[in-house]
Amino acid sequence: MQEATFLILTALAAGSQHGYGVISDVLAISDGRVRLRAGTLYSALDRLRIDGLVDVDREEVVDSRLRRYYRLTAEGRRQLAVEADRARSNAATALSRLDLAGGASP
Amino acid sequence: MSEVGTEAAYRRWLRWYPREFRREHADELLGVLLAETGPDDRGPRPVECLDLVRGGLSMRLRPRVPRSDSAGFAVVRLMYLAALVQCAVAVTVAGTAGAVRASMLAADPGFTAAQWPAQLADSVDPLVVSAGLGAIVLVWLAWCSGRGRRWARALFVVNFALTTYSLLHGLAGGSATYAPADLAAGTVLWLTELATLGVIVISEVRRLATLRSGPPVPVPDPALPLGAAGRAR
Repeated sequence: MQEATFLILTALAAGSQHGYGVISDVLAISDGRVRLRAGTLYSALDRLRIDGLVDVDREEVVDSRLRRYYRLTAEGRRQLAVEADRARSNAATALSRLDLAGGASP
Repeated sequence: MSEVGTEAAYRRWLRWYPREFRREHADELLGVLLAETGPDDRGPRPVECLDLVRGGLSMRLRPRVPRSDSAGFAVVRLMYLAALVQCAVAVTVAGTAGAVRASMLAADPGFTAAQWPAQLADSVDPLVVSAGLGAIVLVWLAWCSGRGRRWARALFVVNFALTTYSLLHGLAGGSATYAPADLAAGTVLWLTELATLGVIVISEVRRLATLRSGPPVPVPDPALPLGAAGRAR
């Protein structure tokens, strides 16, 4: 799973959000490192909807403009959990080996 | 540029997206683009425009098959691979024409150099043209198959029959002697198409099995309160 996809799913894990909300949340989650462009976000959301990981939650009109909220599906929640678990395991391995290397070095 | 002008400019860039996508998401996407436009921005930012072009092209070209449908995904990828191999066949046939000519002159005493132009026009040129057209047709079939158009698979089977006929026709005409490189390229194409056919069969068998077992039982989403999923739609 690409980092942008992981971060979008993470942004939606806390609850449904509209497009601009996802962009802002991803920026905050990544400490300002990942700034999604609108085209990239909607391309990713389209792919995630085809894969059944994300779905439209509700729509509302704000300032006469349509705002659509997206939510994680059960499958999206499951895949995000698997991916987060894998990332945690990899990070733990890397940190333990760094500790090992740090201990061995003079 | 005013907000109205910026919106009109962004709408023009949104034409890179498929019509169905624009119908459903254009207003929503414009809302996000305008929300990101700062007071100092004079019209659409180039980086946003490039991103829209990339997003639009990606949406037009990539398969709309769920990744969970591994066989369906593999069919589309194999069709694109077959198109690539078909291109390689066209290049091989065009590139080895000289070697074929030399082999024919050496192996057949009755064949004269004067007969070569006729041979070229009768068999080599049509083969190069048909291989090139075949590659275009395969790209089209792969694209259509990626959009769930089932008839593309049926047409692919017809294409496979034509490839098989072409290969057998070449063998009967002595391609093993005169054009071993062309024969090898044709065999690689045939094997690629055979693998695609195999995956199409697997995909269809799975589809029929799913149809017979009835619609899938919906999985409740733990994120939603009971019955909220239905109301949300």
